[in-house]
Order: sequence, then structure tokens, then C-alpha cells
Amino acid sequence: MGSPMEMNGGSVIAMTGKDCVAIASDLRLGQQAVGLSADFEKVFPINNQLYVGLPGFATDTYTLREHLRFRVNMYRMKEEREITPKTFAHLLSSTLYEKRFGPYFIEPVIAGIPAPSAIDPDPKPFICNMDTIGCITTPKDFVVAGTATDKLYGVAEGLWEPDLEPEDLFETISQTLLAAVDRDCISGWGAVVHVITKDKIITRHLKGRMD
Amino acid sequence: MSAPGGGGAYSFSLTTFSPSGKLVQIEHALAAVSGGQTSLGIKAKNGVVLATEKKTPSPLVDDSSLEKVAMICPNIGFVYAGMGPDYRVLVAKARKIAQSYWKVYGEYPPVKVLVADVAAVMQKATQSGGVRPYGISLLVCGWDNHRGQSLYQIDPSGSFWAWKASAIGKNMSNAKTFLEKRYSDDISLEDAIHTALLTLKEGFEGEMTEKTIEIGIASVPTAEQMEVKSGERLPATFRKLSEAEVRDYLAL
Amino acid sequence: MPEAIQHRFDPYSSNGGSILAIAGKDFAVVAGDTRQSEGYSIQSRYQKKVFPLTSKAILAVNGFAADGNNFVKRVKQRLEWYTHAHNKEMPIKSIARLIQTMLYARRMFPYYVYNVLAGIEEDDGTGAVYSFDPVGSYERETCRAAGAAQSLLQPFLDNQIYFRNHTPAPGQPPFDPSTHPLSTVLSILVDSFSSATERHIEVGDFLEGYVILSPGRTSDDLIGEGVKGVLPEGMTVEEQDPEDLDVQSAVAGKGCRVFLVRKELKRD
Repeated sequence: MGSPMEMNGGSVIAMTGKDCVAIASDLRLGQQAVGLSADFEKVFPINNQLYVGLPGFATDTYTLREHLRFRVNMYRMKEEREITPKTFAHLLSSTLYEKRFGPYFIEPVIAGIPAPSAIDPDPKPFICNMDTIGCITTPKDFVVAGTATDKLYGVAEGLWEPDLEPEDLFETISQTLLAAVDRDCISGWGAVVHVITKDKIITRHLKGRMD
Repeated sequence: MSAPGGGGAYSFSLTTFSPSGKLVQIEHALAAVSGGQTSLGIKAKNGVVLATEKKTPSPLVDDSSLEKVAMICPNIGFVYAGMGPDYRVLVAKARKIAQSYWKVYGEYPPVKVLVADVAAVMQKATQSGGVRPYGISLLVCGWDNHRGQSLYQIDPSGSFWAWKASAIGKNMSNAKTFLEKRYSDDISLEDAIHTALLTLKEGFEGEMTEKTIEIGIASVPTAEQMEVKSGERLPATFRKLSEAEVRDYLAL
Repeated sequence: MPEAIQHRFDPYSSNGGSILAIAGKDFAVVAGDTRQSEGYSIQSRYQKKVFPLTSKAILAVNGFAADGNNFVKRVKQRLEWYTHAHNKEMPIKSIARLIQTMLYARRMFPYYVYNVLAGIEEDDGTGAVYSFDPVGSYERETCRAAGAAQSLLQPFLDNQIYFRNHTPAPGQPPFDPSTHPLSTVLSILVDSFSSATERHIEVGDFLEGYVILSPGRTSDDLIGEGVKGVLPEGMTVEEQDPEDLDVQSAVAGKGCRVFLVRKELKRD
């Protein structure tokens, strides 16, 4: 049957910009080489300023999304506040590590902007990714995951530059994702991009090659 | 049929209400608190102070082993009035709760969340079979990013409140009256420490020294202190004052 | 009874590295990194895998280094025979077909090598890139990446050379991949390898390759005073004397000029 990580296909990428972050996924859902759906988004909102991408095994995408919805709703009620990107990353990480010996086949990507607080009135954009058992990495530039990982690294490394404004960041992440998934048989079929700024979210659906 | 202790039929089981709607075991627990040594807390503009008297029943007791103000996690401290052994059990449980929270979220709990969890532990002891309520009230102080500095009291029933200033134990009524007169919203942490000592002094039997007083403070950190540096832990916002520091405050 | 011991003949290994070629209107560029590795060990930081064949055709070989070296040797031998027989250099188009024939001859025991051939077409003087799989399937393209970091390089080239997913502004003509100026191509080459070096452990140390200019084309954008700030930082360019190239210089076709380009890459 092959590895669950390559069963359904799909890729996610997140990038930082100047006071903004972007996160994007392709829209394909397949059963190995057979495409099934072109509207399978792999990036989900956690709150107004925080998104998570869950590429990998599609059934785990759903399961983990619902589990996270539960945990974040409980957090919101108990703590009477929104979860910050960093705290959410730890929550997801410990959730994944709980299944250390029977993991979810998901490599999450997180992107968000923390809410300003008294102690940190001008918080920096946050991105991170982790492996299937929750080991977090938090680079300054971009994170990628999914079946087009190699390709995404190659293109992002060439196109990304620091301090991009939201519209330039949108163009960079879109071109990176499309270039990469067009060379991956099991990613693609369109894409969705979210650009998170301090005061708004810009969500756009991209048309891509359908082959 | 009546159980020993003079509580009447309704003291037999702590989970049985009396016709007046009271659980008398909880009343008894509160009585244990009221007999305990006085502790108090004051919330200031830039921090919180906890203070307590620590008197030994005999001069032969080695007071270096006695500890009444306890750090639960780097941003939260406890003090109590009532039964010492019960306190130590709750401190251990609270520390465990804080560490479990850290394991999941990568940070220590906000004060209110820890207070709610510890209060839930205390409430459970009022509703479970085969146990008795904890014979203590707690004063909890701490700082967190969400609510800033805060001061809470938890009672044996599991109820908790936030205070600007409060006292528990033997002298609580007098102390509270004193605090009501002395408190102002823009009090500084330094002034709050002095006020705490003055309040304890009212009705203090014997001499107030660094051996008979314990103080813990939570302070508001600067943005720079809370900056995450790789390989380093965030500095603690709660700490106990050393005997030397207490001596200096008493001398002023 | 003693356990049966199985012996399997496994003559192949993979030596990492990557190669890249881009064709322009009147030039071609082909380059590769010079790191050679086996597993996690670096065997050499400077081992060539880009070889001049004629005065206007360069072959880059990537994959199993031993096969690559032997294959280049045999191609060169065939080209020498051709020169003796015909008293001229073989055109690049014919070299490409020769390489296919030689690779397919070993269909059942292939050279474990990905070939990329770059140079100048004999008839029209355009830049040409031919890419091959190990058993000889080939096509002419505008650009091609191969080797360990192919998956990192190729989508970047799709974006930068082929303008995939780019739409011209209203009223503008469609993008044409063959119109890139040489300076742009060299920047893309260097950026590609810097990116691959950053993310791929088998790529690094040095970038080395050749630029072949069509007969009559100026070299002002490659060598001389005017190239400061035009060429990628740290890149050195040396014109190759046909005598020094290991080719049949006596019959070298007139006009094509070959330049050796080098740049340091990160060593980690």
C-alpha cells in the first residue's frame, strides 16, 4: 500500500514577511496516483491570527484537526483568552508525542501573529513546523512540508527574501508553491493562500495546473 | 446516632448536607484555618507580596527546616493558614499541576488557571468518600502575561477569589481591617512589603525577626527579561526573600 | 546444515552532486558542483563532472562517478574516431544521437549516469541543451537540472527560465525562455546552486562549468571591464584556449569561444 505519508499527496508551506506571515497549501486529495478531489484544503484557522497546515495522511488531517479544535476550545474557555502561536505549537507538539509509537502521519506547519500584550506590544510573526512526533523547528524564513518538500525547499530558498510586504509575500509564496507542486505528481490541483497581517487575513484561491 | 466531635448527626459523613444547607466538615475545616498562624497578601502596582508569621511551638525546634511560603513554579507562590501537613500535600499537588501544564504548553500556567486547578483538588475532598477536606486556606500570588500580577485566596470548600489584599488565620479580621485602612490602588511593591510587616505586627506575639517572618514576592518583569533566548530559561517572577532581606525590611 | 550465504553483485553506487545547463539564444551555460560523496562521507571537494568534448559541445555527467568518467572517455574516443574519418568536429546534434546509441547499447547493464550535453548548434548557432536518462532517452530543452538536487533545482528553473505560472501584463508579448541575457542566466545558475548547497548535503564546495558563445557573439557581458556588477559576486571567468581544451583542436570549428567559470560554494 505504500507509506501513509505518500498515500494521499499534498503540500504546505509558510513564510514570514514584514509584520505578516503567509501559509498555503495545494488542494489535491488522491488515492496514490488517482486524484479524488480538488478542494481538499490542508490549512485550517485556529483563531483570527493563527493557522495550522496538516499535510500527510488525509484521515489524520481530519482527526487531528478535530482534536485540535477540541483542545483549543477547551483552552479558550478555561483560560479566557486566545491561544498564542507558540503555545499552540507546544500543545500540538505534545499531542503528537503522546502517540510516539503509533504516530499521526502528519507533518504540521504553523503560522500566526501573536496578539500584542503589555510585556510585548509589538510581537514578531511566528512560523514553525514539526515532524510526525512533534519535534518543533522555528526558522526565521520559511517552513515546508508534504510530498513536494524537496521542491519547495529548492524554490523557496531561491525566491524568499526578508521583510516582504504582504502583497509581495503573497506573490512569493504563491510562485514557490505552484512551481514546486507542478513538479510533484501527487500535489497540486490548485492552491489556497492565507496572508496574515496584524489587522486582517487575505485568503486567495489560486488556479493551478490540473495534471 | 451521632459521631464524636459534637457535630451532631450531620457530621457523620462530610458529603451529607445538614438541613440548613451546610456541610459541617467544611465549617470545621474553616475553624482549623481560623486557628492557624496569620498569613496575608497584598497586590501592588508592580508586584504582589505574601507574608506570614512562623512561630515554633518550642525554642528547641530547628526552624531552618520550616518553610511556609512555597514556590510552585517560577511565576507563582503559595502561603497558607491552617494545618501544615495538608499544606505540604497541596503544595506537592500544585507543583505537579504546574509541571504537567508546562509539559503540554511549554510555559507555566497563568495564576488563575493554577488556582482553579488547585481549587478543584480541594473541592474534590469535600465530595469524595473516605476523605476529609483540606484544613487550610491558601493565598496564591503570581504574575502572568495574560492578567499581570494577581492575588487569590482558596478556601477548604474549593471556592476562590481574587483580592487586592487579604489575610487568613488567627488574626484575619483585625489584619483585614488594618489592610482596608492602609491599602491604596497605586501602592508600590516596596510599600506593600512594609505594609505587610506592619499588618503582621498588629497582634504579633513575641519578637518579629527574620526567623519568625517569611516573605515571598511576585514582581512584574520587563519586556527584555521575558525575551526568549535560546538555551536559557525565562527568569522567575516569584521569589522568596532571604533572611538577610527580611532582616533589612524589619530594620527599616 | 550450514546457512546458505547469498552473494549479490552490486556494482553501482551514487556519488551525489548536481549538474545544470541552460541554453540562450547565442550561448549555452553548463555547470556542476565539484563535491563527490559516498553516503555521508565526502570523497573529494574538487572532482570534475563537466567535460569539454569539442570546441562547441560540453558534457556534464552525474550519478555514479566511475561510470561517468568511463562514459566520457568512451564518448571522447568515438569523437576522435569521427574526426579521423571526417576531418571535422562532430556537430552537437550528432553527439546527442551518439550518446543515445552508446547508452542504449548498455540497456541491460546501464551506465548509471545522467548526462546533460550543452553547446552551440552547428546550423543556426543557437544555444542547445540535450538531456538524457541512463538508457539513452533524450530531448533538446532550454534548461535541465540533474543529480542529487534535481528536485530542488528544476522547479526553480521552471519558474525563472520557463516563466511557468507567470502571466505577461496585458498587451505584452508572451514570455520567451530563449531570450534571457547571459548575465541573468549566470545569476540564476549561481542562485540555484547556492540554494541547493544550503539544503542538500551532497551539493557544495565549488561550482565549475563552461559558457560557450556562438561564433561572432560579443564577450563583453562575460569578460573584461564592463562586467563588474553584472557577473555574480565571486565568479571568475577564464577564456579557454582551444589548444588547452582536451579536444581535437586541429579541426576545431571556427568561431565558438569557450569560457571556464568558477565560484566557491559553501563547504558545510
